[in-house]
Parts: sequence; structure tokens; C-alpha cells
Amino acid sequence: MNKTSSKHSASVDASVPVSLPSKHLLGIEGMSPLLIRALLDRGDMFASNPQSDISAALKGKTIVNLFYENSTRTRVSFELAAKRLGGSVLNIAVAGSSVKKGETLLDTATTLNAMHPDILVVRHNCAGAAKLLSQHVDAAVINAGDGRHEHPTQALLDALTIRRRIGRIEGLRIAICGDIANSRVARSNIHLLGTLGAEMRLVCPSTLLPAAVDQMGVSVFTDLETGIRDADIVMMLRLQTERMAGTETPSQREYFNFFGLDKAKLERSAPDALIMHPGPMNRGVEIDSTTADDVEKSLIRTQVEMGVAARMACLEALALGLDNAS
Amino acid sequence: MSDIQFINAHIIDPSQDMDGIGYVSVEDGIITDCRLGDAPKPSKDAKIVDCTHGYLAPGLVDMRVQSGDPGAEHLEDLNSLLSAAAAGGVTAFACLPNTLPIIDDPAMIDSLCLRASRQGGSRLYVYGAATKGLAGKEMAELGMMAESGAIGFSNGLTSIQDALVMRRLLSYASMIDKPVIQHCEDASLTADGEMNEGETSTRLGLIGSPSVAEVIIIDRDLHLVRLTGGRYHVAHISTRAGIDAVRKAKAEGLPVTADTAPPYFILNELAVSTYDTAMKLSPPLRSEDDRLAVIEGLADGTIDAVSSDHTPVDGDAKMQPFGPSQPGASGIDTLFALTMSLVHADHISMMRAIEILSLAPATILDVPGGSLVPGSMADVILFRPDTGWIVKGVNFASASRITPFEGQPVQGVIDATYVGGKETFRRD
Repeated sequence: MNKTSSKHSASVDASVPVSLPSKHLLGIEGMSPLLIRALLDRGDMFASNPQSDISAALKGKTIVNLFYENSTRTRVSFELAAKRLGGSVLNIAVAGSSVKKGETLLDTATTLNAMHPDILVVRHNCAGAAKLLSQHVDAAVINAGDGRHEHPTQALLDALTIRRRIGRIEGLRIAICGDIANSRVARSNIHLLGTLGAEMRLVCPSTLLPAAVDQMGVSVFTDLETGIRDADIVMMLRLQTERMAGTETPSQREYFNFFGLDKAKLERSAPDALIMHPGPMNRGVEIDSTTADDVEKSLIRTQVEMGVAARMACLEALALGLDNAS
Repeated sequence: MSDIQFINAHIIDPSQDMDGIGYVSVEDGIITDCRLGDAPKPSKDAKIVDCTHGYLAPGLVDMRVQSGDPGAEHLEDLNSLLSAAAAGGVTAFACLPNTLPIIDDPAMIDSLCLRASRQGGSRLYVYGAATKGLAGKEMAELGMMAESGAIGFSNGLTSIQDALVMRRLLSYASMIDKPVIQHCEDASLTADGEMNEGETSTRLGLIGSPSVAEVIIIDRDLHLVRLTGGRYHVAHISTRAGIDAVRKAKAEGLPVTADTAPPYFILNELAVSTYDTAMKLSPPLRSEDDRLAVIEGLADGTIDAVSSDHTPVDGDAKMQPFGPSQPGASGIDTLFALTMSLVHADHISMMRAIEILSLAPATILDVPGGSLVPGSMADVILFRPDTGWIVKGVNFASASRITPFEGQPVQGVIDATYVGGKETFRRD
């Protein structure tokens, strides 16, 4: 397996699908750097050959997108990825109503299981939901976001985006800014980018900092300009509007004043930094439009593009695991 | 009732500091003699129970049990609860008032006690609801409930948040000399909490409840105890800060007691790492430092008692993601063996173990039991502390079978249970 992160040596090993050590893909925590690199290499290869018919790993397989939270980009991205690998896709959007979601989860799992899907892509508002589901279905499960816990394919696509632009992850200074406490994207990225050797920084008001997060190998800043100083990547996170009305932060304008990313702060602190955001963005809250839309500096659109490639690598690896098991 | 003589038993009785081979004589359900050494010749019709190689101690008094009856009999009715108590060596236990309907009325206490006494077996006691409907706002009829047999007052699974309500409760309960049992948790700090706050909650993406939520209520209540002189009991204490506060209050001479439950001295928050909902408890499993503090508190007397915190929970309520799953677990069947683990690990003596399981809770609740002194009710257990077994919920006598200790090896079995001299359980 490829042991470097350079693009050139990667393309050789990327000619074969990745073999996962487990049936499911539930999180990044605990994943080896070798495995992460292999998935990135394969994703890189898919990204470089968008139209070609490289893999039909999902031919004859059914992929079910089971989304308990509203999502456009992640769901569509998984759907495109599955279709490009020849799979049949079924979308189930469970409206985010006030029904007891836990009960629905296992009831739905039982029902779905009887239809024998091959891969279940699950998003749920509860941490651990994908794991719970994986214990009750025969299909391979991909976690497409479980509460505040993890969003592994987002971290993979973020890493792929960075690697294709800069050529490496190791040694980069990466600042994740915003609502860390409630973010699964932050957790998966801390694990993934940290595992690949990036220097990880978190920037947020102390009220949005999860307990003992410094135990996860990150340094913590409560001042944006200090936190992003000389950063290679500034990754902004979405702040839910309900957290801006005197609860976690005093007001929207106070939040933007201190923690929103604008051109001036960026130029003072990290003029060479590239900007990322997992979307959807709150323009004028955590990021201003000039910065978000700066084609030179913003990787936000590339992230969306890389989502399909990264998810193809994951879906293919799970399908391979199913084939090998049967 | 015929007479019984237990002979050749290793007697443990903390009430008279008795630890050695001896005998216990029982007449009409009352202990008439209890001494070390060889037994005198028994009366002609006395039944002789030879306890060679076994231990004899006063039966367990479990001061925190949730009954499914009334209102949730499908989870646990009085019958299965009493069977579980007998099998677990529990000869007396106190039920929480948060049943359906809520026990905030003297007639409810009459009814439950009467039905339990008809069934026979372990002695069932009831806490009256401290506040009407357990809403935490208005005092319930404490005096009338006490006359009907309430042994103390509790607000069930919730903490009394309002300081004025707590002040009045402590003051009024002191007038009728009953303890107020408080589940200590500042609800504003833990409203959305899913587990103990710390590195583990951060890694799992679960919302953390800070452990200070316990000591904040304890500290406030201790000030109110000073003000009112009321008897105050901290239920299932679980944090170092809370235990330190109780230790200081006891040194000051305040009328304060505390109990804990086995999960808090055996497990810590890392048990939640697989999102196993059997580990969802209230209070939540705490840090390793808190766990060690609970053991220290049990050893030095700061924590008086260990209770089972037995809570029947619907399987469907646990078959959920961790966050929305219901807290609680079964406890009566495992209370004795799990507490014995403290003896096997040399944290406490056998004498202390029987004290925290039997004498101390009986004293706090002012109920019979906890002693083998002649004149006491013959509520006794025969047990072997070293015999090993594997915890399996399906084997519980209780109908409530979800346990955080599933699959764990433990040591300590109850061989027989006697309530008022009547055998209510014998191991096959």
C-alpha cells in the first residue's frame, strides 16, 4: 500500500479498490493513516477521471439513503457517487418531525432489512445512531452524520480537497473555527487531519468549546486572529441561528464581530490561507460573501465536487467487503 | 410458627460487632438468642439449619427501589419485585413514589403496603412524594402520609430545584421526624445532558452533564439543613465534590446521610463508549476519579449505604440511540454480589459491607432490620461470599432484566433468605 501522500506515487496504488478492515464505515476515530491515505488515493483517482468507467463495483447492488435530517448536498453526493459506480439508489427522507425518532430508526431498520439492501447510508440527529443501525441490519452501513459525533465522508472529502490543492496534509496548519461543540464535521476532521500529521487548531467562543477537547491533540484559541495566524487552511463551521440569540453567544452581530471571517481579519492574520466550509453557509454570520466567493482562496465549491469522489471510494470499499464476505 | 436454630454459621452482625462462628435462635419470628460458639440444645420442635461453611447476616435493606406497580405492571409487578428481593437477600426495601398514579396521597401508601403484606415476603416500605404530583412546587400531605406509613419523602427521579420548597420540606419533615431523600441534580445544567461531561462525551458527540450539577444542589441543601435542622439524605451520590461536601457536613454534625449504588463504584463513563444504552443511568456514570471517591466514601463512612437503585425500564425505551434512550437499570438481583466486590478487592471489610447493606439503611429509615440482637425481627440471610457466577439478565428473578453488568463475572451468592423467621428463598 502507498506510504506517502504525494499524488504521483498515489496514482499507482489507487488502481485497485480499498479494502476496509470492517464491514461498516461509522467514523474516522481509530482509522489508521494507511487506510485513510488509501481511501484518499482512490478518491483522488476518481476525481481525476470523472467521466471514465473505472469501477462498476455497485453494479447489481442497492444503496439506500436513509436521512432523518434534512440534507441536500450530502444526499445528492452519495446518490451521484453510487450511480457512477453502477448502483441502484433508493432515497428515503424521514421528515424531521417530532415523532420519536429512535423508535422509527429501528422500526425502519427492520423494514428495510427485509428488502435486503446492500449498503445503507444513514444520517440521524443522534450520536451513535449509525452504529445502532449497523447492529440490526445485514447491510453495510455508512455514517452520513450522526448527531454531534462524526461525519466521516465529510472529513475524507475535506482532506481530498486539501491534498489536491496543496499536495499534502502532513505539516499543514489547519484552523477549524466556529461551533465546535455541536459539530460532527469538526470531530471527524480533528481525527482525520490530525492522524495525517496536520497541526490542528480550534477557534471558537469558550461557550462553544466541548469539554476536554484538548485531550484530542488540538490547540484551542478563543481569538480568531490569533487562532488563524499563519494558517494554511481556515475551515469555517456553520453556526445554527438558534445558538446566536443570547444562549451560546450573545447575538448574531457580536458573533460575526469576533468570530466571523472577513477579508480584513484574513489579510491581517493569514493572507495565504485557503478557506473551507462544509456548508450550508450563513453568509454574514460566520463568513462574509467576499471571502466565501473568492475564487483564489475559497475551496468551498471544490469541496462539493470532491464529495462525490470521496464517497465513491467509500462505497466501493464497502461493496468490495460485501463481495469478499459472500 | 415453629422455632428455628441456625447453627455453625459464620455470623456477621455490625450492630454488635460480631464476627465468628456461632448460632442464632428464632422463636415466633423474633431472634431470641445470638452468640458465638456452640449452640445449646434446641427445643424439641425447633428446626435446625446447619450453616457450616456459610455466613449468616441480617438481611439487606434496600433504600432505593422503583416499583413498576402501580402503573407499569408490565415491566415489574409486586410479585416479581418481591421474588427478586427474596432471591437477592433483600428483606426490606423502600419504594420511590414516582409510580402511576404518583404516591402523593395517604390512601396510595395504605394500598401498596397492604397488597405487599398480603403477598408476604420482604417488607415493603414507601416514600411519600415530597411535592404534589412530584411537580416540585407544593408540599404534599407529608403528615398524613407519615401516619399511613411513609418512611420518608422523595421527589422520585427529579431533584427539588426551588430552594424555598426545599426549605419548607426540610422544616416540615423535621417536625414529624422523617428524612427528605434528595436526588441531587441542578436541572438547568443537565437539561439536555446525555452522559457525564468530559473527554468521553466530547469524543462520542453526546451532550455532557457537568458533574458539578450534583454538588451545587448538595451545597445549597446543606445550608438549608443548617437553617431548619431537617434530616437530609443524598440519594445515589456519584461525584467526588458531592462526597467531599457530605464529609464536611458530617464532621460539622449536620443530620446528613448518603447512599450510592453499585454502578458508581464499579463502572465509569468509559462504559458508555459503545453507546450501550444499558449504561445510561441517572445520575450518569462518572469519571474514574469520581468512582474512586465513591469507594473512599464507602470505606470511611461518608457514604452510609448502598442501594440497588433498581429501575424497571421498557426494552423498547432502551432500543434507541443513546441520547433519547431512557435511563435506569435493574439492580436488586445483583446488589449483594456487586457490593461483595468491594470486600474481594479489600476496599472494605465484610463487617462494613453488611453495615452498608443492612444496618445503616435500616437506621436511616428507622425500620426493623439490620441487627441480630435478641428481640430483633428474624430477617436474616445465609450466603457464601466467594461463590462465582455470571450476571445474565435473563436469569434474574426480577422481570426487569436490563443490567449494565450483563456478562460480568461476580462472586457472592445468597443461599437463603428469611423474613420474620419465614424462609422466603432457598437456592436449589
